Amino acid sequence: MTTPAPTSLAQANMMAVALARLLRDGERVFHGVASPLPMVACLLAQRLHAPRLVYLNITGSANPTPAELPASTVDARLLAGTHSLVTLADLFDMSARGAIDTVFLSGVQIDVEGRINMSAIGPYAQPKVRLPGGAGSAALMPTARRVILWRTKHDPRTLVERVGFVTAAGNVDRVVTPLCVFRRVEGRLQVEQLFPYTAADAVRAATGFPLDADDTTPVAPPPSEAELAALAAIDPDQIRLIEFM
Amino acid sequence: MLDKRVSLHEAVASIPDGAVLALGGNTLHRAPCAVVHELVRQGKRDLTLVKTASSYDTDLLCGAGCVSRAELAFVGFENVFGLAPRYRLAIETGRVKLREHACYSIITGLRAAVQGVPFMPIAGMVGSDVVAVSGFKTVQDPYSGQSLVAVQAIQPDVAVVHVQEADAEGNAVIYGTRFEDVLIAQAARRVILTCERVVPGEKLARQPELTAIPGYLVEAVVEAPRGAWPLSCAGEYGYDHAFLAAYVDAARGDEATYQSFIEQHILAPDAALAYAS
Repeated sequence: MTTPAPTSLAQANMMAVALARLLRDGERVFHGVASPLPMVACLLAQRLHAPRLVYLNITGSANPTPAELPASTVDARLLAGTHSLVTLADLFDMSARGAIDTVFLSGVQIDVEGRINMSAIGPYAQPKVRLPGGAGSAALMPTARRVILWRTKHDPRTLVERVGFVTAAGNVDRVVTPLCVFRRVEGRLQVEQLFPYTAADAVRAATGFPLDADDTTPVAPPPSEAELAALAAIDPDQIRLIEFM
Repeated sequence: MLDKRVSLHEAVASIPDGAVLALGGNTLHRAPCAVVHELVRQGKRDLTLVKTASSYDTDLLCGAGCVSRAELAFVGFENVFGLAPRYRLAIETGRVKLREHACYSIITGLRAAVQGVPFMPIAGMVGSDVVAVSGFKTVQDPYSGQSLVAVQAIQPDVAVVHVQEADAEGNAVIYGTRFEDVLIAQAARRVILTCERVVPGEKLARQPELTAIPGYLVEAVVEAPRGAWPLSCAGEYGYDHAFLAAYVDAARGDEATYQSFIEQHILAPDAALAYAS
């Protein structure tokens, strides 16, 4: 494991805050395995602007109030405070019948149409790298009302014109990276907001498909004092940084 | 009440080479690792693994040469240790043939088996290349004409589940998340249960609604304290970060390094006990 670069905490904070800002009060939100930033974002949104958000996760808990955040998002620590417990099958069923509003998913590669590759780099039958697999994504992406993708790496090999293998495709609305927020408009990702510490040309250079981001592209407000205070209260051990290691 | 308690060795000896094996738990949590270790010790071959999201259990069984096929949706150590090195290698070299799934298509296939039907339609999957590479076919809704992906029934030969408490007959109580454990127990032809503690049946009779898996589905019960180690068991222990770090380190190394780790920590008779205590 390598030490995170000095800018990682600023990026992790900005990403957690940007993900939380996308969540709406009262909606049902779900994340699965390997999802520390969405975990933090759900708790943050509940504490700030979305107190009635229903936070669901792969442990089957609802609105947990974990005293300490786990590095694995399947951990029993995410059961703390829940008043109910369902199975994974119950959660996928909910998405299948349109009863989950927002699902967080990620991809090792994400393409301009918001499709993800979590399966293989290189020829599928004899891959150069066999990736973990998409977990719930192939079923969730077409059935969740809205999908928010996140990825802590933003480079031309990660954000590509076309993924080599489509593990999942579907209702992607936004993609959040350390550099910006993309919105899918007419089927293609476009930069909606740049993060304050970056510039449009840097984002264009780091992206493997053409973008029209320029000096007129809106810039996201930096994390406010209230947002940073809530973040520190929810995640004092900075579990959110684990995705940058 | 039947007493189905057997030794770990005996339970695992009953699993034949070539079996389709469903494992309980999810990623770093409550997998039946005592059985996994014993499968390695007994040198099982040609297993087909069935699970939604897996980590150490699948990686070790692939690395030890026990597996030839797998139906899985995710294998990795999440953000804790990243990719599963020996699973990766087994797929990349073609030694293990993967039929890739989404978690929900595993669940759907198990449900078809549970309900005694040959296949079941599933929502979603549209637009995914997994449909083609895994050979999922489509079916037409006879009422509306809508086309849906159809998942073939997945009937494991053996389901292995580790729980916190069970009585000698195999009535099992699961504290915390059940994952797909009840589903695999219902879908499989045979169920082997390991538990942290065998408890008196009278305790379960007081609140039978808390029993997750009924004993009449269970063939054998093994009392295996710390039986999910090095993974977590809710309410009992967390995953063993130091051991898993050492494991992943060895698994990223060359074949000799990895095999020597297995010999030292899995094959040696008291190896696991030293760590597990």
